[in-house]
Amino acid sequence: MKNIRAQIETKKYVFAFVITAVVFFSALLISNIFSQNRIAEVKSIEDKIAMDILSSETQFALLKESSCKSIDHGGTAFSEELGILAARLSYMEEKHGDNDEEVIGLKKYYSLLQIKDYLLVEQVRQKCGVKPLTIIYFYSNLGDCEDCKREGYVLNKLRDEFPELRVYSFDYNLDLSAIKTMKSIHGIKNTLPALVIWDENYYGFKSAEDIENIIPQLKRIRAEREKEEATKSATSSKK
Amino acid sequence: MIEVFFDSILYVFLFLTLYLEVFFLITFFEERLKLAVKSTTDKLSYYPSVTIIVPCWNEEKTVSKTVHSILKLKYPKNRLEIFVVDDGSTDNTWKAVQEFANNPQVKLFKKENGGKHTAVNLGIENSTSELIGCLDADSFVEKDALREIATAFNEDTKMMAGIPTIIIHEPKTILQKMQKTEYHNIAFFKRMLSPLDAIHVTPGPFSFFRREVFEKIGLFKKAHNTEDMELALRMQSNHMRIRNVHTARVYTTAPESLHKLYRQRLRWAYGGMKNTLDYRFMLFRREYGILGMITLPLSLFAVVIFLYNFSFVAFHAIKAIAEKATEIGTVGFLFAIPTTNLFFFNTEFMAILSYIFLGLGLVIMWNGVKLAEGRFRPSMGILYFIALYGIVAPIWFTRAVVNVIFSRATSWR
Repeated sequence: MKNIRAQIETKKYVFAFVITAVVFFSALLISNIFSQNRIAEVKSIEDKIAMDILSSETQFALLKESSCKSIDHGGTAFSEELGILAARLSYMEEKHGDNDEEVIGLKKYYSLLQIKDYLLVEQVRQKCGVKPLTIIYFYSNLGDCEDCKREGYVLNKLRDEFPELRVYSFDYNLDLSAIKTMKSIHGIKNTLPALVIWDENYYGFKSAEDIENIIPQLKRIRAEREKEEATKSATSSKK
Repeated sequence: MIEVFFDSILYVFLFLTLYLEVFFLITFFEERLKLAVKSTTDKLSYYPSVTIIVPCWNEEKTVSKTVHSILKLKYPKNRLEIFVVDDGSTDNTWKAVQEFANNPQVKLFKKENGGKHTAVNLGIENSTSELIGCLDADSFVEKDALREIATAFNEDTKMMAGIPTIIIHEPKTILQKMQKTEYHNIAFFKRMLSPLDAIHVTPGPFSFFRREVFEKIGLFKKAHNTEDMELALRMQSNHMRIRNVHTARVYTTAPESLHKLYRQRLRWAYGGMKNTLDYRFMLFRREYGILGMITLPLSLFAVVIFLYNFSFVAFHAIKAIAEKATEIGTVGFLFAIPTTNLFFFNTEFMAILSYIFLGLGLVIMWNGVKLAEGRFRPSMGILYFIALYGIVAPIWFTRAVVNVIFSRATSWR
């Protein structure tokens, strides 16, 4: 039988191909734009934090011998800002993979900011005798640390519950000399996850309860907060 | 490295899928003016003589309704005859059809059980009509359906077969509602494949053939329990025109349980692949047009592509669930308000592609409903389809692939 089949012009195949390619690469482009925006947002947070640290350092240098009360660097707002940055960075790390140059750059900057903040807090401690609540946390995401993910959840939870707590987290394998120095100062072994709490090293997974036992202040803060809330609700119910 | 390899394959598959959707949507824009519903009140210039064969096997409950729906068709009685062929039923089908014994339009046949296609063949051999069609005993038709088909045959003398739009009748279970939307989608693709001469199935309910089809290329053959696909492919390989008459609507009942649906779809998927392999000489041959270039390769590879994409989604879903489980196991369930921060809105390439697929899918569904039902009505079926189809379809697709590889035949019921 004669072929009476509809003849499809090559033009149509090509046209469909062009549209598909345009849609496909637009998706790629849009995704890239969003990812660039994300990087810009993280960068701007980092810059703000850098500015805050610089401001605190300057304030500290200026005041040196004067009253410790006027040094404004122990508050919770700064710690929260670091927390926000950490959440964004870990999201980007997850989406872009660990090998993304941009993410690594942002992480290095973030690590340096953490170290600067840590040093500043240490200085305030020495001068003013306040005992800051800090945890230094070393993790690895090369797949050689099964408990790191869980430890991360625990620290995130603690950070959410206690804005007073400063958690400095460092990628153990990040190629940054400042981190290497931190590791050697604290004598961190490659047994991850590793926590440094008040100059004491702890290896392996530590639950929220374990950490609260190491830092009893956390329990006290919670008790105080609960008491405060109880009185608040008592007065409001009296009204 | 391995991840990059699998991702690249996925991108190629996604590009192909997108290409096909675009191709069909372009066809849709070319065809859209012809899709308007025509008035059916006009008299036909010519009424071809028609035989409708009703093959039945243990269909005592539905056969009577089916025959009555044919008798109600708006078509001259002297031009329409009905052959009821009892294919060795073991229930009371034969008794049930005796109510039509004295109806001059109806002829009753009884034979030993030999499979649906043998029952239809018996009908074809006894028919002298110009048009021969078939209606499964679990289906029934709209009054105008035959006139629509006859009109299409009158208008196009080269058209050798006309297939209707199939609609799921009164879906009750969630699965049936899901299938209703699926059939709407099929209606869309059938209609788009029609002008491209790329239809590869002449489905059991209410497909019509000119009698010369059977004279030239023979009767139905046993073919992996999907005889209606084999005949369509045989017609296509002989360059016989098959068209979709979307205004001819036929209603059928959908399997209500997952098991019954699984059996049906396994048969379709397996038969689809096996028949395509039998007619593989048409694959990627331009003389067979879109059928050779798109429809047939799809019926062979779509399953693989679908399963590949599905396993990718499933892999990531399981990973996410496992991570959530570890989190809950470690720190307990945190009642956090889901973050509405745009920063955490997924804008990965793959995510944006899936939004595009969803959007195009909705356009197709919208137009599928319009084609099949006349106008768009939102229904829960659309939601069920989006949420469930990707989960249930891999069940029979996986099995079908396994069966094809190990050549394990499927059964009818």
